[in-house]
Amino acid sequence: MTSNNRAPHARRYFAALKAHTFLVRLGVLAFFVGGLMSLSNVNIGAIGQGLALALVGVGVYISFRVLNFPDLSVDGSFPIGGAVAAALIAGGTPAEGTLPAALIAGALVGLTTALIHITFKIEGLLASIIVMTGAYTFTLRIMGTSNIPLLNVRTILTPYEAPMREFVTATFGDALRRQANNLVEILIFGVVVAIVLVVLNAFMHTEIGLALRASGKNSQMVRAVGIHDRMMIILGLMLSNGLAALAGALTVQQLGFADVQMGVGIIVRGLAAVMIGEVLLRPKNIGQALWSAVFGMIIFEVARAWVFSALNLNATDVRLVSALVVLLALAVPNVLNRLRLWQRSRAHAAP
Amino acid sequence: MLHLENVHVNFNTGSASEVRALRGIDLTVASTEFVTVIGANGAGKSTLFNVIAGTVTPDNGQITLDEQTITHAPEYQRAAHIGRVFQNPTSGTCAGLTISENLALALRRGKRRGLRPAITRADREHFRERLQAMNMGLESRLDTDVAFLSGGQRQALTLLMATLTQPKLLLLDEHTAALDPNAAAQVLELTVRIAREAQLTVIMITHSMQQAVEIGTCVVMMNRGKILFQTSGQERDQLTVEDLIARFRALRSADDELSDRTLLA
Repeated sequence: MTSNNRAPHARRYFAALKAHTFLVRLGVLAFFVGGLMSLSNVNIGAIGQGLALALVGVGVYISFRVLNFPDLSVDGSFPIGGAVAAALIAGGTPAEGTLPAALIAGALVGLTTALIHITFKIEGLLASIIVMTGAYTFTLRIMGTSNIPLLNVRTILTPYEAPMREFVTATFGDALRRQANNLVEILIFGVVVAIVLVVLNAFMHTEIGLALRASGKNSQMVRAVGIHDRMMIILGLMLSNGLAALAGALTVQQLGFADVQMGVGIIVRGLAAVMIGEVLLRPKNIGQALWSAVFGMIIFEVARAWVFSALNLNATDVRLVSALVVLLALAVPNVLNRLRLWQRSRAHAAP
Repeated sequence: MLHLENVHVNFNTGSASEVRALRGIDLTVASTEFVTVIGANGAGKSTLFNVIAGTVTPDNGQITLDEQTITHAPEYQRAAHIGRVFQNPTSGTCAGLTISENLALALRRGKRRGLRPAITRADREHFRERLQAMNMGLESRLDTDVAFLSGGQRQALTLLMATLTQPKLLLLDEHTAALDPNAAAQVLELTVRIAREAQLTVIMITHSMQQAVEIGTCVVMMNRGKILFQTSGQERDQLTVEDLIARFRALRSADDELSDRTLLA
C-alpha cells in the first residue's frame, strides 16, 4: 500500500532527474575541461576558437544526422563564408553585416549540392565533392588573393575589446589583462552561437522543421504523408552550409586573417565535434543534440590545444588529430561489439 | 471514385530483363467500397498500389481519383488524398520521432506546412482521443519513440496516421502479414472498424483467401499483371473460399495458356 503511494513520487523524481541528466553531464564535463585547462597551460582562447567553429559542428549534425546526407561541401562553404566576411570587412562593410552575407553565400553552396544531387541523380557524396572542388575557385576569386589580413580593421570583436580590458583590469588586476581579448571572443561568439541555436531549435519544432527531421529518417513514410522530400534535402543542405559559412565568418575575425586554405579538412573536424558531443553528452532530443555539437567542438578545441602543447605539435597537425578522433569514434563501438560477441561465444563454449 | 484505364507498367524496358508488371489494368472502385485484392506473388498487386500512390508512373493509361487525373502527379501531392499502410511495420512510421511527432506529420497531410508549432496542446488532446479509441494502450505514450513499439502497435499507429485526415482512398498492402496472429487479428479488426466508421474507400491487398472473402464489399483477383476478375454485390456476398480457388485455377490456366499460345505463334 505504502509502496503504491510512494511510487508516483519516485517516478516523478526520476523523471525530473532524467530531464536534468543532460545538464548534469554538461556540468561534470565543464568541471573536467576547466580542471584540465587550469592544470595545464591551455589558454582560454581555445574556448573562443571552439565557439567560432561550433556552427560547423551544428551544420554537420544537420546534414549527416538529421538529413542522413554525407555532405562534404562544408569544406567549400566554410572558407567561402570566411572569404566573403574578410573581403567585405576589408572593403569597409560593417563587420556585423558580413554575418548574414556569409550565411547566404554558404546557403547557395548547399543549394548547388542539393540541386546537383536531385537533378542529375548524382550520389550525395560525389555531388558534394564536385561542389567542394569548384568552391575553392570561388573562394579565391572572392578574396582576390590567397590571404587577406584583418589587422587594423574593425571586426565584430573590436568595439568590446577596450571596455573589456578596462573591466578586467579594474576587477582582477593586471594579471588577467592579457586574457581580455579571449574573453571578448568567448562572450561575442557565445552570444552569436546561442542566438543561432535558440532560433534553430525553435525551427526544428515547427511543422517544416519536423518534416525536415523526419525526411532523413524514413523518406518513404515522409512522401506518404505528403511531404516534398526533395525540398527537405534542399532546405537542410542550405541550412547546414549556411551555418558552416557563418562559422567561417566568425573564424576569420577571430584569427585576424582569411586564408584560402583554411577550409581543408573542416568537415572532419565538424564530424569529430558531433561524435565527441554524442559520446560524452548522450543527447536525447534535437535541442540537446544541437547543443552537443557545440560543446563537442569546444571540447575538441580545448583537448587539441592541450595535446598540441603537451606533445609539442605544430598547428598544421590538426588534420591528423581530427582524422584520428573520427576514426576512433567510428572504430571503438565496432571493436567493443566484437569483443562482446567474442566473450559470449567463449561463455557458451565453456563447459 | 478511383478509376484506372488501360494502365501499363514495364520495368527495365528494352533490356533482356524487361518485366511487364501491369498489362492493361481497368479498375473502377466506387466510393465507400472496401476492395480486397488477391493474387499470387508477382501478380502485380504491389505495383498496382505503387502506380495508384505515385511511387511508379505508368507507361500507358490513365488514373483518375474523384474526377481528377492524377496519372503523373508526384507521390507527395497524391498523398494529400491517399493514405497508405505498408507490409513492413517500420515503413509507415518514423523511428527516432515520438508517437505525437509522427501523428503531427500525418495531421498536416495535404496542408501547407509552415512555421507554426508542429504540435499544439490541442493536437496532443486530439491524438490522445484518437489513440484511446484504438484501444492499443498508446494514449499514455505520446512521447515514446516509435522505435520502442511492437510491430502491431506500429501498424495500428500507421493505420491511424493514414486515416487521421479522412483520405479519399486508403491503400493497405498486406498490412497484417508481418504480424503475429494475435496482433494481426487486432489490427484487422481495427481496420474494418475505422473504415466503417469513417466511411472510407479502401483497397486491401491480402494473401489470405479467407480474409478476401470475409472482409469488404468487392473482390479483385490479379494474375501476371492483369485483373482476372472483379466481383461485388450479391455475387460477392455468396462467394466462398472454394469458389474463389476454383475460379482462380480456371481463369489462371486459361490466361496462361493464352499467353503461351501467343508466345509460340
